[in-house]
Amino acid sequence: MTPMTIDTLSLTFSALADPTRRQILAHLANGELSVTQLAEPFNMTMPAVSKHLKVLEHAGLIVRGRKAQWRPAKLQAVPLKEVADWVEQYRQNWEESFDKLDAYLKTIQKEEKDSDD
Amino acid sequence: MDELKERQIEVSRTFDAPLEMLWKAWTEPKHFMKWYGPKGFTAPTCEIDLREGGRHLWSMQSPDGRQMYFTGNYKEVQPMTRLVYTDSMSDAKGNVMSAEMMGMPEGAPVTMDVTVTFEHADGKTTVSVSHVGHGDADHAGMGWEQAFDKLTAVLAKG
Repeated sequence: MTPMTIDTLSLTFSALADPTRRQILAHLANGELSVTQLAEPFNMTMPAVSKHLKVLEHAGLIVRGRKAQWRPAKLQAVPLKEVADWVEQYRQNWEESFDKLDAYLKTIQKEEKDSDD
Repeated sequence: MDELKERQIEVSRTFDAPLEMLWKAWTEPKHFMKWYGPKGFTAPTCEIDLREGGRHLWSMQSPDGRQMYFTGNYKEVQPMTRLVYTDSMSDAKGNVMSAEMMGMPEGAPVTMDVTVTFEHADGKTTVSVSHVGHGDADHAGMGWEQAFDKLTAVLAKG
């Protein structure tokens, strides 16, 4: 894993560490929403929502539209995929460990057999 | 978010070897050191205090010589059946590294709960490993992993 990936991941995790931000992302999974639309279900002020959106935008998890007032927030998939890949790395590590374990078991079984003969 | 399964990694493999051998491979350092770690990695350190509450400390060394240590405690030790332990990255002495120390902010999953089950049938042994990660920030409310599962499901549809 390159330092660059770690850096991106660290931003992503940081953004995802907050439960409100995760909820915001879950809402955005259904489509673009404005700050006003996002503020409503959370019972939050617009500046508070804007602050969360800024963190999410910085982490590359969302993009904001450039349409003057409205600036709808839209979900971005790439950083989430990097998190998925990071988790997937654990699976890969186990698969490769198991390959080695399989080879090792064959070796010791052969040794046992040879010493029995 | 009840409908969401906790995010897990599950890996299982059937080995052409007796159950006892697999149990030893997981619980005795001289065997464990021979296979643990991805391709090209070695496991130069391995301490196992095999009892509930007992500690493990082992390492993986990458082909370019970097060593990573992992430590944790056994939560369940059922001989030939089941092992449950925690696993976190640590320094060489077994001091757990925080997310910040690894260059990850608070909330990144630092500790894994690892469950290993052993099943024996027809002279073969199946070992299943399940990994559940939890970050410090996940104690309250929905875990980021669950949120992430939901998002990837939605993204996959779109």
